[in-house]
Amino acid sequence: MKAIKYLSIAALAVSMTACKYDIQPDKLYLNEDKVKELTADGKIYHLDELLDVFSTTEEGNYKSDTVNYRTRANDESNNPGIWLYSIDTLPSSGPGIYIRGRVSTDDYGGNFYKALVIQEIVDGKQQNLRLSIDMGSASGMYPRGQELLIRCNGLAIGRYANQPQLCVPSYNNNTNASSAEQKVGWNPGRIPAPFCRTHFHLIGLPDESKLKYDTMTIYQIHRDAEGNYTYNDIKGARKIDGRLVVIKDAWFDGQFVKTNGEQDTCHIYYPDSISHGNPEYDSNSAVFGPTTGNVGYPQSRCLVDKSGKNGALQWTLVSTSEYAKYAYFYLPFEYVDGVHKYGTFKGNVRGILGFYMDNAGYKPDRSKWSITICDLNDLELYADGTGEVPAGTKWGPYTRPDGQKIDLRKEWQMNIYERSILQTNEEKRKANGLE
Amino acid sequence: MKKTLFFLLALIGATCSIVAQQNAPTSEQFSSPTRLVGQLVNEDGVPIVGYATITLGNQNISTSANERGEFSLSYLEAMDEEVIIEADGYISNIVQVQLTPGQTTDMGNVTLITDMGLAAKEEVLLTLAEADLNDDEGKSQSVSSAPSASQDVFNATTSFAWSTGRYRNRGYEQTFEKNYINGLAFNSAERGTFNFSAMGGLNDASRNKEIVSNIEAANFTFGGIGNSTNYLMDASRYAQGWKVGLAGTNRQYKGRVNATYASGPLNNGWSFIAQLAWRYSPYIDAKGIIGEGIAYNSFGYFLSAQKDWQNGHRLSLITFGAPTERGQSGAVTQEVYDLTGSINYNPYWGYCNGKVRNSRIVKAYDPTAIVSYEWQIDPMQRLRAAVGYHYSFYSNSALTFYNAPDPRPDYYRNMPSYFYDGQLDANGQLISKDNTAWMNPLGITDDNGNLVEQTYNGNIVGRTMDMATYQRLTDLWKARDNKATQIDWDGLYAANQANNIADPNGSASYMQERRHNDIEEAIMNINYSNSKFDHLKITAGMDVKYAQGIHYKSVDDLLGANQWIDVDPFAERDIKDLATNIGLTQEGIEFVKQNDIFHPNAVKKQGDRFGYNYYMNMVQANVWAQNEWNFNDFDVYYALKIAYSSMQRNTTMVNGRAWYLAVLNERYMNHYLGQDAQDILNGKEKSLYRGYAHNFIDPAFKAGFTYKINGRNRIKLNLIAQTEAPLARDAYVSARVHDAVIPTIYTHDYAKNLAEYFASSQKIAGGDLTYEFNYNIVRGRVTAYYTQFWDGSEMNGYYDDQARTFVNQTLTGINRAHRGIEAAAAVKLGTYFTLTGAVNAGDYRYTSNAYSITSAENGMPVATKMDGTTIHELVDSVYINGLHVANGPQLTASLKLSFFHSKMWFADITCTYYDRNYLDFAPSRRMKSMYTGTYEDGTRVNGSYRMVSNGMNQGYENAVLLDDAGEMVLDKFGSPQLRYPYNLMADQESLVSSNVWNRFIFDASVGKLIYLPNRQQLSINLSVTNFTNNTKLKTGGYQQARIARGNLQQKKTEEGNSVLMPNAWKFPSKYYYAWGANFYLSVTYKF
Repeated sequence: MKAIKYLSIAALAVSMTACKYDIQPDKLYLNEDKVKELTADGKIYHLDELLDVFSTTEEGNYKSDTVNYRTRANDESNNPGIWLYSIDTLPSSGPGIYIRGRVSTDDYGGNFYKALVIQEIVDGKQQNLRLSIDMGSASGMYPRGQELLIRCNGLAIGRYANQPQLCVPSYNNNTNASSAEQKVGWNPGRIPAPFCRTHFHLIGLPDESKLKYDTMTIYQIHRDAEGNYTYNDIKGARKIDGRLVVIKDAWFDGQFVKTNGEQDTCHIYYPDSISHGNPEYDSNSAVFGPTTGNVGYPQSRCLVDKSGKNGALQWTLVSTSEYAKYAYFYLPFEYVDGVHKYGTFKGNVRGILGFYMDNAGYKPDRSKWSITICDLNDLELYADGTGEVPAGTKWGPYTRPDGQKIDLRKEWQMNIYERSILQTNEEKRKANGLE
Repeated sequence: MKKTLFFLLALIGATCSIVAQQNAPTSEQFSSPTRLVGQLVNEDGVPIVGYATITLGNQNISTSANERGEFSLSYLEAMDEEVIIEADGYISNIVQVQLTPGQTTDMGNVTLITDMGLAAKEEVLLTLAEADLNDDEGKSQSVSSAPSASQDVFNATTSFAWSTGRYRNRGYEQTFEKNYINGLAFNSAERGTFNFSAMGGLNDASRNKEIVSNIEAANFTFGGIGNSTNYLMDASRYAQGWKVGLAGTNRQYKGRVNATYASGPLNNGWSFIAQLAWRYSPYIDAKGIIGEGIAYNSFGYFLSAQKDWQNGHRLSLITFGAPTERGQSGAVTQEVYDLTGSINYNPYWGYCNGKVRNSRIVKAYDPTAIVSYEWQIDPMQRLRAAVGYHYSFYSNSALTFYNAPDPRPDYYRNMPSYFYDGQLDANGQLISKDNTAWMNPLGITDDNGNLVEQTYNGNIVGRTMDMATYQRLTDLWKARDNKATQIDWDGLYAANQANNIADPNGSASYMQERRHNDIEEAIMNINYSNSKFDHLKITAGMDVKYAQGIHYKSVDDLLGANQWIDVDPFAERDIKDLATNIGLTQEGIEFVKQNDIFHPNAVKKQGDRFGYNYYMNMVQANVWAQNEWNFNDFDVYYALKIAYSSMQRNTTMVNGRAWYLAVLNERYMNHYLGQDAQDILNGKEKSLYRGYAHNFIDPAFKAGFTYKINGRNRIKLNLIAQTEAPLARDAYVSARVHDAVIPTIYTHDYAKNLAEYFASSQKIAGGDLTYEFNYNIVRGRVTAYYTQFWDGSEMNGYYDDQARTFVNQTLTGINRAHRGIEAAAAVKLGTYFTLTGAVNAGDYRYTSNAYSITSAENGMPVATKMDGTTIHELVDSVYINGLHVANGPQLTASLKLSFFHSKMWFADITCTYYDRNYLDFAPSRRMKSMYTGTYEDGTRVNGSYRMVSNGMNQGYENAVLLDDAGEMVLDKFGSPQLRYPYNLMADQESLVSSNVWNRFIFDASVGKLIYLPNRQQLSINLSVTNFTNNTKLKTGGYQQARIARGNLQQKKTEEGNSVLMPNAWKFPSKYYYAWGANFYLSVTYKF
């Protein structure tokens, strides 16, 4: 028995060890001293400066052999000397090439996909650059407000549909695509995730309040100080691309723009039809991002304000991916005397300014500017109470009239309602200075 | 149904009545018999108390030694006899004796020499078995059969030597290898397997065992088609004294210490034994080593007490357990192995604040208590009974993430191959990669080893990024950059920290979760044997097991985040699509992503349960009886078993997807929500929601015949037929989400006839024919075996690129045949050497196509019909006829040269050859509809769910090989043949290296036993496995079920959808390799 006693004591003496990792939060990101230390081998470029220094030729330095290695979509006949696509590789060795900027996008809503926009404030003005990265749900790693330091060596600067971005060279060989003769070729591609992990560094903790929003009217988006169309200046538009803006006193007017540029009215036939108004089958449905038939381009819905001369209506587009989580949410409207009516929900719209010129044949047009919101939190719209918000569909997506059967424990209010801007809360209206 | 059961039970009764009618032995049989007695002792003169067999070579009679090592044989023929003595853990001995008529020949003490290498080898086997146990993965490395030093030449040779190649007994799954402890069935009721980790490091606890090979007659169980092993843990079976040991190895753990004390039988009738063992490895900061990124910590205890009474009663109290915490390693693609230059690359670890940290930590602990009772009623009758309680804690950690990038370093999008992806030419043909690229994922190289850019029509093809960037990415992998090729722990903490600021009340971006798969089992067993009757031994038994599987997830480490919100990230992503299914309001849709709809958006902190929390209640009961008839020239046995089993799933959490599926089709609401479906839909909260119970009755019959040609040669024939209820593991479509079981069980539940009743049970029939020989110089056997399985079923789950969600795929109607030949012979070469050869040449194949039912876990449609209506449960057939069953090598052969010197030197060297080993196939890649454009019911496939590129009725033209007449070319099993490169995606891959030398593994061991004064001993043993360091031997793996959608996004078919493009390189197979050279050095001191 003594033996067992001794063995038992020995057993107690052998304890399971646990490994401690002693995470020190302040070591997880860079402070300014560390930024200096890390960038000592080179220079931190401003975002616009990076483009100016390393994107020296219109067609990009990648590559000179335009037969075998041509850059995509150089339509000389319509826009001689202007290339919508370009690639400029950055030297992988030599002095360090750094940029820093604060993330202004959030992909939780699904409207940004494998893309970030960073913002740098230089002399009180915004400079912005898109980052094309092969990393889904990147906001989980780089949330809105997070400042990044990026070592650009070995990456590339390019333009995709005229939008400047940090990227890697990529070859589009989809010879089955429509207009393949324009599309096949080199263009900006997504930076592989392993490069993000090795090139991107966090500076401090995220601070969304440090993002700068330019308050603009829709008219100001379209026209410069001289009254010229900003979109007409293809080169100049590149500098505006990615700007973080807020439009005030704006509303959705229930219109959308077809791919040929024509405006049309959205359908609200939700009660009685499978295909008519059903966002899965009908691209005219009055939701933010109905189907594209698996093609995948962003859907456009018209946003309006009264910023034209003498208060004339001006419109631009709000761009939504059909893969966004809120894609099938209805545009805000109310029933007034039994008829659906837009324009009673008004307020602020925040988003990233951009455009899409995927071939050089596009003519300048005010419809080409669009605002990309991250999710519905970027819409601060408030009903004016003139009508009735449709029951059961107020916040909701496409639904059928028997949707009411899902009334299990109605008191369950999910976070998404709290996050939603589509509220009629009087106190909130007052808090925002609308009354 | 009732008539059949009545008939079967009546048969058992008839068996017993036969017994009752037997006459008692005549007085003549007790008069002056010729007898042989003796006692087995070890080299110290201490009685051998393990399981031992004594066989008379000429008369072909055998018996077992009792727990004091004593044996006795009566009614023998007087002649010169050869006594063959075999005991587990000892080197066999053959002794010549002369039997005198009417007299008792006393052999006195018969000494057996300890097989020193065995203990070390058993420890290695246990480690392998433990490493292979990935309970929650579904795709675990195939484990070899139970560690056994069976007295059978074939089993003794193969159990260790063939474990490196993951040889499996006749190609059977581990569920067919039954394991018992003091007669109690210890294979898990839910998963069907035995957890070797429960006895990790406790080699003394598992030392004494009786092993029944395959269909042979057994005395402690009915048995089955696989081996049955009964571990005997009574304290009196261990020799008195202390034993302490120290071992070092370069495997998963690096060091081991153990100590054992056994009292031996004391005068008061008590015996005791206690063993403690500790195995340990710290994290070692080195890449490319065996056990890379793994820490190991296991403490084992084994306590057994036994009381013997003079009147034949014996009571044993046994408890053991081995709380273990160990890291895991994972299978990766060939590309990763090639880039990292090591088969030991492990994607599960990374640096955390500069220290090595593994994300997959197994915590296992199986506290077990057994009370066994034995009553030797008289010399011919014995009654044994036991009760046991066993709680298996088993959990495995894993990283999970919410709205954040996938943290796995070997995620396919992080690999260079993803950017060297398939491209199509103008004709829709894949032109990017060719055979060369398939073999070499790094691409085609020129003579200088530089990557070559390929052009097609003047355009560079074959990759989607430029060569320099591609090269830099490969360089990251080759250099094994810590941030890019291992888990970036600091990055995960940083992401959570940022998220705490950005969304303080939001869910963590990253979290380490712990998946618990516990099981609690209460087991009882009664076994009665009677040898009272002439030539007949009767054995009967009954065992009952109640088990409850306990499954849930818990928050293991928030990695610095504030909390985890309990919603399903994947369901949330699919919400938009769900909105079109039925008339859900947004409020209703919010339910769908909830893991517990009665506690939506629950905030979870460290240690909290989340995700799912369900219980699988199971009852299993077996009644069996066996008659063994022994005559001079032949033996016959037959046995019958009736098995009852039931399973019922209960849950404390109602999953939003289950609720959604019930709402989607209210007719089947009970199918998903169980008995309380109506209450759930009415919003009535309960503490437990009951599923439906499913009950099964399965009969089994087996019989054997042995013809004794003479004392040294015999022929055996064994046959078995049985049905077997599905395991709970395979019965539920998605037990974590809802109560739905596979369709055949529903058929079974409402069966109108026997055929329907047994529709869900697997039917098994088989037999083996053995020729056995036993001479002074050579002994061995040759066995031919054949086993046919019908109506097997299995579950698979994977991410479906077409449905863009996680799907479950049930495979039913799996028929297969396992046939082959086993042979082994041991030849004595002079005094010191023995040469043992063993071979298994098997052929394990599927014998028909199977059926599959595919459904999305979140209720989304998985396809649409031509008229646009949706398909939620896709029924199709799967072309598996003729494929090989992927259960280890089907051709294995080895040659072993053993050396033993009387000065107690031991050594052996073994060469093993592995061949005919195949990769497990993914059913999703062999669907009929993908090959032909039509489902099994003849309806046409709409859109992309097929392996074609264009056309409507002739859609298979690009993928399927056509003859001159335009008809599909079929193989001899009736499956369409595919063109290159489509065939690469679907064909079953051989794991065998094209280089013959890479199929060989060489092992060696050497040992020395040193006698010290006062009966003390010191033994030293070194075994080196794979000492030629063959790092090219693939032991297993699996084809990924996920199939890439093609690159034809812009090209519409006439039916309006993009098509499924078989890109053979996008989701390549994953492999396991045998370890390179590894050693085990042990020193044991006995006193």
